[in-house]
Amino acid sequence: MRAYLSVFKMRLRMELQYRGAMIGGILCQMFFGLILVALYRALYAGKPQSVPIESVATYVWLQQAFFRMMVASDSELLDKIRSGDISYDLCRPVNMYGFYYARVMAQKLMGSVMRAVPMLIMAFLLPKGWGITLPSSFSGFLACIPALALGLFCMCALENITVAFTMRTLDPRGMQGLLNLLMMTLSGNLLPLNLFPASWQKVITFFPYAQLLDAPIRLYTGEYIPADAFRVYVLQAFWVVVLISLGAAMWNANRKRMIVQGG
Amino acid sequence: MDIFRLYTKSIGMLLKSHLQYTSSFIMQTLAQLVMEGGEMMVVILIVDRFESLKGWTGGNLYFFFGMMSVSFYLTELFGRGITGDFPMMVRTGRLDTFLVRPRGVLTQVLCGGTDPRRITCIAVGVAALIMGSRLSGISWNLLKVFVLVESIAMSMLLILGLFMIEAIFSIFSVKSVELVNAITYGGRSACQYPIDIYPTPLRALFTVIAPFALTLHVPASWIMDKPLYGWPTWTAFVTPLSGAVVFIFMTVMFHLALRHYRSTGS
Repeated sequence: MRAYLSVFKMRLRMELQYRGAMIGGILCQMFFGLILVALYRALYAGKPQSVPIESVATYVWLQQAFFRMMVASDSELLDKIRSGDISYDLCRPVNMYGFYYARVMAQKLMGSVMRAVPMLIMAFLLPKGWGITLPSSFSGFLACIPALALGLFCMCALENITVAFTMRTLDPRGMQGLLNLLMMTLSGNLLPLNLFPASWQKVITFFPYAQLLDAPIRLYTGEYIPADAFRVYVLQAFWVVVLISLGAAMWNANRKRMIVQGG
Repeated sequence: MDIFRLYTKSIGMLLKSHLQYTSSFIMQTLAQLVMEGGEMMVVILIVDRFESLKGWTGGNLYFFFGMMSVSFYLTELFGRGITGDFPMMVRTGRLDTFLVRPRGVLTQVLCGGTDPRRITCIAVGVAALIMGSRLSGISWNLLKVFVLVESIAMSMLLILGLFMIEAIFSIFSVKSVELVNAITYGGRSACQYPIDIYPTPLRALFTVIAPFALTLHVPASWIMDKPLYGWPTWTAFVTPLSGAVVFIFMTVMFHLALRHYRSTGS
């Protein structure tokens, strides 16, 4: 366990170095957030919905703030898979899955927190109806934090499953692209999940993609009351266990048939 | 004409090379279909829930969406050298070899990349255009077809021009600048909906600096017989030309920037 912890810490520090990329990323994400909020405001002006516009704006800002959690991936690992250097990792006295899980988690955690804090502060300063609102209640806010952590666990497990496909095909673009795009739609990044048709939502909210950010955000906005929190955690934990075991099994199977590209 | 032949020939060769890895190519093309299909689904879901957007019907919205995705992805298909590969050409020093050949640098850059996977995105865009045209009940005539083609062509020049900003930045700073994405990809996301739904600052940005409103929204709304801001007919023919203006301006800037190009040496 200590080994994984130190990998995690090293990676955290590493991610802290990229400050220039961070500022560009924040401004770009802010711009996208503003466009989306403007669009939903225009739509609401024509036909208000049962979900208030303030909570749609909050949804958009939280999605944009934690965007990095979804897209950050370990490009070094992908290079290693392509070049065959991954064979060195087989010699390490730690479990390969756990090693890379800790790495990608540090990357996603640091990358998103570093961007989320300044972005959320800016989003709070925007006028009402444009920016993010305070959580529905203090207990809602408290309930949201463990849900975010479980979402992160879920996200890293999904990432490792994507990498497992890359180990087979060597070219990360095909399968990874497909899975990432499914994620963008089903996690609520393109359109908040609570604006999907009600009958779809019953199914979609059960999918692992809805556990990443949608569940924590709904706890924050009060759409899930804090008393529901336990049910949300159980569903999230269920997916974390399923996805990690699936990913670890795929990695183990890949380890047996790993082909190193010579050279 | 010579340049045109050169271009078709190099694109043909690139296409062949893309098709060598058949399964990977099919996979990526499908991924593009899912992506653009997802975007389209979002518009459909929005129309399903909200019915209309500031006086624009669902059919109008599909038409705008189709115009944008056809122009944007045609640009990516044929102009990949600028929209995607250029920063890498600077980083790896490939640009150096272009400087010593007896053809324009921009021509060679454009000849150097294509992205055939986008074909499925364009298909989704065409489907949206047909759907939008049916639902908005557009009665087509020769003039409207001409404006449609002009609008798409000019939007493509505009998008190329905007991506050239990124190219110019990358000449100076070697690393590609994420912020420029706000105006290119951000412009695509914002302007697939009609411009008049946005507050004034965003409207000004996409009318004056990145004039998607002029190349796309003015002609498209004229085609649908709902002129934007009630502007007269001649504007639908004239305003799209701003795309060419942006492109020419950025080409001049690009060549000025090239004078300051220092090779990475690798």
